[in-house]
Amino acid sequence: MARPALRPADVATYAVLAAGALVMLLPFVWMVSTSFKTGEATFVTPPQFIPANPTTDNYARVFSTVPMGQFFVNSLFVSVTSTALMVLNCAMAGYAFARIRFPGREILFYAYLATLMIPQQVTLVPLFALMTWLGWGNTYQALILPASFGAFGTFLLRQFFLRLPREVEEAAFIDGAGYVRIFFSIGLQLARPALATLAVFAFMASWNSFLWPLIITSNQSMMTLPVGLSFLNGRYATDWNVLMAGAVIGTLPILAVYVFAQKYIIQGLATTGLK
Amino acid sequence: MTKLTTTLAALLLLGTSPVAAETTVRYMTFSAAPDYLDELDATIAAFEAAHPDIDVSYETASFNDYFTKLQTVIAAGQAPDAFELNYENFVSFASKGALADLGPLMAADSGFSTAIYNPTALAAFSQAGKQYGLVESFSNVVLFYNKDLFDKAGVAYPSADWTWKEELEAAQKLTDAASGAWGSFAPIQFWEFYKTIAQNGGAMFNADKTEVTLDSPANVEALQWMVDKVARYRVTPSDAEMAGQGDGDLFKAGRIAMLRTGIWMFGDFSANAKFNWDIALEPGNTAKAHHFFANGVAVSANSANQQAAYEWLKFLTSSKEAVEIRIKAGWELPAVTDASYVQGYLDQPAPESREVVFQALDTAVTPPVINNWNQLTDIVGKELEAAKLGQKTPQQALSDAAAAVRPIL
Amino acid sequence: MEAVSGRGRLIAVLVLVGPSLVGMTAFYILPVLSSLVVSFAKWDLLSPIRWIGLANYANALADPAVQQALGNTVTFIAGYLPTVVALGLGLALLLNRRLKGRTFFRAVYFVPVVTSWVAVSLIWKWLLNPQYGLVNYALSLIGIQGPGWLFDPAWAMAGVVLTSVWKDVGFVTVIYLAGLQDIPESLGEAAALDGATTWQKFRFVIFPMLAPTTIFVTTISLISSFQVFDQVFIMTGGGPVGATTTMVQLIYRNAFSYSAMGYASAISWILFALIFTVTLVQNLLQKRLDRSDG
Repeated sequence: MARPALRPADVATYAVLAAGALVMLLPFVWMVSTSFKTGEATFVTPPQFIPANPTTDNYARVFSTVPMGQFFVNSLFVSVTSTALMVLNCAMAGYAFARIRFPGREILFYAYLATLMIPQQVTLVPLFALMTWLGWGNTYQALILPASFGAFGTFLLRQFFLRLPREVEEAAFIDGAGYVRIFFSIGLQLARPALATLAVFAFMASWNSFLWPLIITSNQSMMTLPVGLSFLNGRYATDWNVLMAGAVIGTLPILAVYVFAQKYIIQGLATTGLK
Repeated sequence: MTKLTTTLAALLLLGTSPVAAETTVRYMTFSAAPDYLDELDATIAAFEAAHPDIDVSYETASFNDYFTKLQTVIAAGQAPDAFELNYENFVSFASKGALADLGPLMAADSGFSTAIYNPTALAAFSQAGKQYGLVESFSNVVLFYNKDLFDKAGVAYPSADWTWKEELEAAQKLTDAASGAWGSFAPIQFWEFYKTIAQNGGAMFNADKTEVTLDSPANVEALQWMVDKVARYRVTPSDAEMAGQGDGDLFKAGRIAMLRTGIWMFGDFSANAKFNWDIALEPGNTAKAHHFFANGVAVSANSANQQAAYEWLKFLTSSKEAVEIRIKAGWELPAVTDASYVQGYLDQPAPESREVVFQALDTAVTPPVINNWNQLTDIVGKELEAAKLGQKTPQQALSDAAAAVRPIL
Repeated sequence: MEAVSGRGRLIAVLVLVGPSLVGMTAFYILPVLSSLVVSFAKWDLLSPIRWIGLANYANALADPAVQQALGNTVTFIAGYLPTVVALGLGLALLLNRRLKGRTFFRAVYFVPVVTSWVAVSLIWKWLLNPQYGLVNYALSLIGIQGPGWLFDPAWAMAGVVLTSVWKDVGFVTVIYLAGLQDIPESLGEAAALDGATTWQKFRFVIFPMLAPTTIFVTTISLISSFQVFDQVFIMTGGGPVGATTTMVQLIYRNAFSYSAMGYASAISWILFALIFTVTLVQNLLQKRLDRSDG
C-alpha cells in the first residue's frame, strides 16, 4: 500500500507547529548562548548564536557568588518531599470530600477554596510567626510543609473522585471494608493519572516558589534555586552573561527531568479528565 | 577555600561548638552578601577569638530583599540581636522604636571613645539626642573620567572649579556618535535628583521638613538640565540607547567619558577598565554638592543579648582587625578617623586622586529622609521617570510630585 | 454506600481529612484569617498594632494608586487571557490531528511551563532588550523597528503579557488536548457527512463540546492572573512610570516597602472580593451550561 502523500492541510499544520516550536525553544538557545559569551560578544548586532570566543567564566562567577550546587540539592529535596506529601494529603482529603458525607463538609471545602484567592504576600507574616513559634525557622520542614498542602490539589482530586463510578468500591463495601481501606487499596490505584497530574503541578509550584523560601531561610545552607537566582539578579543586574549562566543552572536540571519524564507527565495530564 | 566550603565549615564549627556558657549574637546583614562573606567570616573569627564567650551567627539577604525579610522577622517577634541598616531606613526604624539606645552601654564602656568615628557619620545614626546605631561604613559619589578619551579629544581634565557649563562644553567635545562614545552620564532618578538640585541651591523640603519645595524654580531648572543632557544636547545616552547595560559597563567599555558614580566602583574599574582613569569633584551649578551614603549597625530593642550584641558591633565597626579586612577587600569605607587606618586606603594605586573621596565629604548632602521614605522615593521616582521619557515637562512632573508628596509628609 | 456506621464514618473522616485539615488550617486558613484581622488595623510591622476599623478599606477604595493598579491588572488580563486561551486551543486542535511527531511538539510546547518564573523573567528581560535583544532583532529582519519594550510605558505591559503567554500556552494546550479526547470522533464524522465545513464543524460541534474545558481554563487562569506578581517583580518592578504595577505588586510594596501591613491586607481582601465575584459568575455560567447539556 502506498503511503498517502502529505495533504496541503498537513503541510500547513507542520509549518505552524514548527514555527511555534521555534518560538518556544529559541529563548532557551539564546540563554545558553549568552551564558557562554564574553561581554564584548554580547552587545553586538546582529546577535551571535554561536559565541565567537566562548568562555566559561560566567559559570565560574555564578558559583563563586552563590553555592548553586547546594541550592540545587535543597530545591530537589524540598520539591520531591513536598510533592509526595501533597499528593497523599490531597488524595485522602479529596476522596473524603467526594465520598463521605460529614457535618461541615461544604463549609470546610469553601474555606479551602477561599485560601486560593488571597495573595500569599499578606499571609507571609502570620505564617512566618507560626514557623518561628514552632522553632522551625531555617529548617527543611518549614520549606516543605506549607508546600505539602493545598486547596487546588484537594479540589482537583475531589472532582476526579466525584466523576469516578462507584461500582468497584461498592463491591469492597459488601466485603466489609471501610472507607480508609478502600481508599488505600482501590481509590489510590484508580486515581493514578490524577495523582500524576497533581504531582506535576505540586513539583512545579514548589520548585519555582520564591517568596516563602526567601523569607524562611536565613543562610545559604538552606536556600533554594530561585532565591539564589534572585541573589544573582541583585548582584549582577546588568551582567546578562552571568544572569543567563545562573538561569541555565536553574533551568537545566528540571528540563533534564522533564525530557526524561515528559511522556508520563503529558499522558497523565491528558488522561486525568482535567477540565 | 571556596565560599561554599568556608560557609559550610563555619556552620559546622557553629554547630559543634559548646553552647553552654556562651551567648550567641544573631546578626543580619545585606552588605556582606554575596561578595564579602569570606571577609565577614574572618571578622567574626577575629571577634570570637577576642571574646571566647560570644558566638556570632549571621543571616544575609541581597539588598533588594533585605528589608522584606528583616521586617517580617521583627514583626514575628524574632528580631536578630543586631542588624545592619542604611541611613535612610535607620530613621524610620529608630522612630518606630525598633532600636535599642546604645547610650547606657557606651557610657558603661569606659575603655571606649566614640572619637574613633567620623563625627558627621556617627551623628547620622542618632535621633533626638540618643545614639541608636554605630556607623559601619560610608561611601559617596564623585566624577569618574576616562583620561584617554580626554587626551584624544584634546580636552583638559575636570578640575574642582568646573561648573555644569564647563562640564557640558567638555561633554560636547567628547561625544562621538561614530565611535559610540558619550560625553557625560548621570542617571535620572531620585538619588541623583536630590543631589543635583542641591548643586543648584535647591532642596526637596524646607529646613524643618514641614513644607514641600519640590517644584521650586531652582529644582525645575536642575531637572531641565538633567533631561537636556539626554534629549537636547545628546551628550548622555537614553535608557533605550543604554539597552540594559549598566553605566559602569559602558564606562569600562570606554564609551562614557565622565561618569557620576559611587566609589564602590573602584575595585571593578581598577580590575577591568583597560585605560587610564581618575576621579574629580563633581561640577555643580551654583553650589558644590556630593552624595553621602552611610551604613550603620544597630541593636534590636527587644534583644536579650544587648551587651554582647553591642560588643560585636563595636568590633565590626571600629576594631583594627575589622577595618583592615574591610579596606583590603574594598568592602566599602570604614567611617573611622584614625589616619593610620585610612592610610591603607589612600595608598592603594588606582585612582590616583583618592583624596577626592574625603574632599567630597565637605559638601556632603544626606538623603532627605522623612518617615514615609519609601513612598517618597517611589512617588518622586515615578515623576522623574515621566520627565525622563518626555511624558511630562520638568515643571509638570515636579508639580505633580509635590502634590503627591504633601499628603504623606 | 452509606452502609458504614456513623462511628466508622467519623473515624474515616478523621484519618483521611485530619492531616489535610491540620496542615491547611495551620499554613493557610489561619494566616488568611489573621490577614483579615490585620486589615482592620494600622500596623507597620515594627511598632504595636493599632485598630482603626474600616479606615483601610475606605482609603483603599479612594486611592488612585489602587485604581491604577487595578487598571493595569485588568489590562494584563485583557491581553493575556484571550490570547493564551485562543492560542492554546488552536495548538490543541492542531496537535489533536493524527500526525507524525505530535508527541514531540506536545513536549516542546510544555517546556516553558516547567521552567521557573524567576528564570523565565530573566531570560525574557534579556530577549526584550531594545537594542541587543533577540525579539527586536527578529522584528528588524522583517523591516519593523521594535519598541523599547520594558523601558517604554506604552509597551512594558505588552512585554509582560508576551512573556506570560509564552510561558503558559503549553499548559492550556495540554488541558484542551485532554478535553478533545472526550469528544467522540463519530460526532465530527457525522457533521462532515452533513456537509459541514471545517469551520462549521469547529464552531457548532467541537467548541460547544469543549465548553467545560474552556470554563475550567479561564477560571484558573483568571484567578492566577488577578494575582500576577513574579514576572512583574523581576522584569519591571512595576515600572516604568508605574505602567506595570499590578494589584499584588502594590500589595507587596505596601506591606514590605511602605510598612503598611494593615493597608496591604485590606487591598488583598478587596482583591479577594473581586476574584470571588468573578469566580462565582463563572460558576453560575458553568451550571447553566451543564443544565443545557442535560
